[in-house]
Amino acid sequence: MFNRRQVLKSGAAIAGASALPMPAIAQAPKKISLLTWNIIDTEVLIRAWIERFKKDRPGVEVEWQDKKGPELPAFYQTQLVAGTPPDIINTQGALGLEYAGQGALLDLTPRIKADADMSKRFNADYLSNWLLDGANYMVPFYITKTVLFYNKLLFQKAGLAEPPQNFDQILEFAQKMTTAEQSGYLTLNFDWLYWPLYAMNGVDLLSKDLKTATFNTPKAIEVTDRLAKATESGAINKISWTGRWVEPNGAFAAGNVGMLQAHAPAYFYVKGQGKWVTPETLGCIHPPGNFATPNSHGLGISKGSKNPDLAWEFLKFMTDEAQIGEFARLRKLVTGNTGFDAKHFVELEKSDPFVGSILKTQLEHTDKMVGNWRLGNDSRVKDAFWPELQNALLGRKDGKTALADAERKVMRELKKS
Amino acid sequence: MAPPSHLPAANWWQRKRTREIALVVCFLMPSLTIFFLYRVLPLGWNAVLSFQHWSPLKPARFAGLEHYEEMLFHDDVFWQSLTNTLIFIGAAPFAIMLALAIALLVNSDLKGAAVYRTIVFLSYPLMTVAVGIIWRWMYDERGGIINFALRELGLVTKPIPFLQSFEWALPSVIVAEVWQVLGFYMIILLTGLQSIPQHLYEAASIDGAPRYAQLWRITLPMLKPSLFLCAVIGILNSFTSFDIVYVMTGGGPGHATELLITYIYKLGFGQTKFDYAAALTVVQFLLLLSLTYLANRAAGGNAGSLERR
Repeated sequence: MFNRRQVLKSGAAIAGASALPMPAIAQAPKKISLLTWNIIDTEVLIRAWIERFKKDRPGVEVEWQDKKGPELPAFYQTQLVAGTPPDIINTQGALGLEYAGQGALLDLTPRIKADADMSKRFNADYLSNWLLDGANYMVPFYITKTVLFYNKLLFQKAGLAEPPQNFDQILEFAQKMTTAEQSGYLTLNFDWLYWPLYAMNGVDLLSKDLKTATFNTPKAIEVTDRLAKATESGAINKISWTGRWVEPNGAFAAGNVGMLQAHAPAYFYVKGQGKWVTPETLGCIHPPGNFATPNSHGLGISKGSKNPDLAWEFLKFMTDEAQIGEFARLRKLVTGNTGFDAKHFVELEKSDPFVGSILKTQLEHTDKMVGNWRLGNDSRVKDAFWPELQNALLGRKDGKTALADAERKVMRELKKS
Repeated sequence: MAPPSHLPAANWWQRKRTREIALVVCFLMPSLTIFFLYRVLPLGWNAVLSFQHWSPLKPARFAGLEHYEEMLFHDDVFWQSLTNTLIFIGAAPFAIMLALAIALLVNSDLKGAAVYRTIVFLSYPLMTVAVGIIWRWMYDERGGIINFALRELGLVTKPIPFLQSFEWALPSVIVAEVWQVLGFYMIILLTGLQSIPQHLYEAASIDGAPRYAQLWRITLPMLKPSLFLCAVIGILNSFTSFDIVYVMTGGGPGHATELLITYIYKLGFGQTKFDYAAALTVVQFLLLLSLTYLANRAAGGNAGSLERR
């Protein structure tokens, strides 16, 4: 057995040994982490950015992780629970506001306001997509909103000279192009991407103060019933209301769908899969009324970040023309950095005018963006609304019943929040 | 050998029995620790969470039975996903019967039985995600092979929207699930069949027992442990069929193919309602426990126990 002296000696030795690394810990490099969403294909570029950033800041470390679409939310939440959230996070759609609503993200408003360059850097309409209760929680990384693609070959075959100019024409044209093997119209449905169909009919989901459901109106019921009827007849492909993005884009790429409402990057998927796709055969316009739903990627800083200033510096660095420009040229996208985007469009006009014309739509009519209610509980409201709408669109309930049920559920969710 | 009576009794830690127990405990400790840390502790914490309001960055508040009240009286989706889960479980006996029929066939003198056995089993080692994707394309309304075949055979005039309709979606997913697990059931039952002593059948034949009586009186009773195993696996599969549903339908259309497990995932990681998801998990756990208990009782009450020699 140990005697008292031995125990004391051992204790002193252990304490001494554990104190030894303290100066080393104090001098440990400042470290931040970056979590991105599904851009592993740009690994070389991101790693080059990190090296560039570190070069000017000796002792700084940046850890990068990329997660696939469905993995990122689960991963981020586990990190929040563990108290080790990544310093900078990239999310898509309304997810950033959800995290902000939970208190996970840092309010970037003071930093944006205090930085003359950052306050002017971004398209204001896109930047405002991440406003929650007047505070800005994210800045644009790369931006998208919906457009209407149409298959000119099928239009010609159906005797249609022009793309649709209003909701009635969408349904009418879709019907004209429908055969046993063909459908006239498809829309992506996730994250409210179908909402322009309602917006062009003057229907809004919520009141301006976001406290009351405003969609249960005779007009909304009429629109729903008409969409359901068109779905039943095959004019609207059922995948519009069931698939996510691969199936609708794939179906349009197969060449037997007349119109596709999707966000602009869908072009690259369609082009990659559809041999028929050329500037002569594919059209791309703003949906009637110029309504479109954004589904952009933003960058925010976790409130739990141990180095928020460094994280902000890296965020500025990433969205700076030099870095974001490399990213945009590599992936052919719009960044929301207005200075760079303008230059990029000029470049594209020479190198790839068709892609340029599609991407240009992303910065047009940005005041007509819909389906981007600034809610901290967007997914809950969506889950209260969407299944009921699906019930109507796929013929399980009539529009009146479905929207009444949806209203009850949405109001319950709004009251809870 | 017992110590001589004049010697003092050994200390408890010097006794052979104590040492044996200590050894057993040492061997079991790693597994028990893992079981406790990764099963019992989370389960306990989950149960506590179900009575709280909690989200990752907010302190927990006592909620009492609020989540259970919400679940039972206000949440239609809970009832739908519970019903769907029970339907999924209800499909397991049919799958087992089908597997039994195939096992009986490939256990007979059928020519090429080994080939059929391999073919039926092939589906099982496939990744569930791959199975989901394959079946999703096969079910496709416009380009799917099933609709193509049905139309070519003149059985339908309009394509069937298998995964897009409220009526067809759940049965379609169940068929894909059954297809995948069928081979596994078959192998279990085949092993059971091959362990039945042949002399029982010979004696029955000599006594003039017809084939159905042999099946009823010999095969099925002797297969009870294998059938129980299949039933338990079927129940567990039904509760954990997350991947195939997620890939094929995502729980839709509406919530037509939503299972408790997919709903719990969506609530937790999609809507950050971890507290409410915990309450649903408690219900799922109790349901699983009850069904396993019933299956055990049906199998004679001692399934899984070791035969003492």
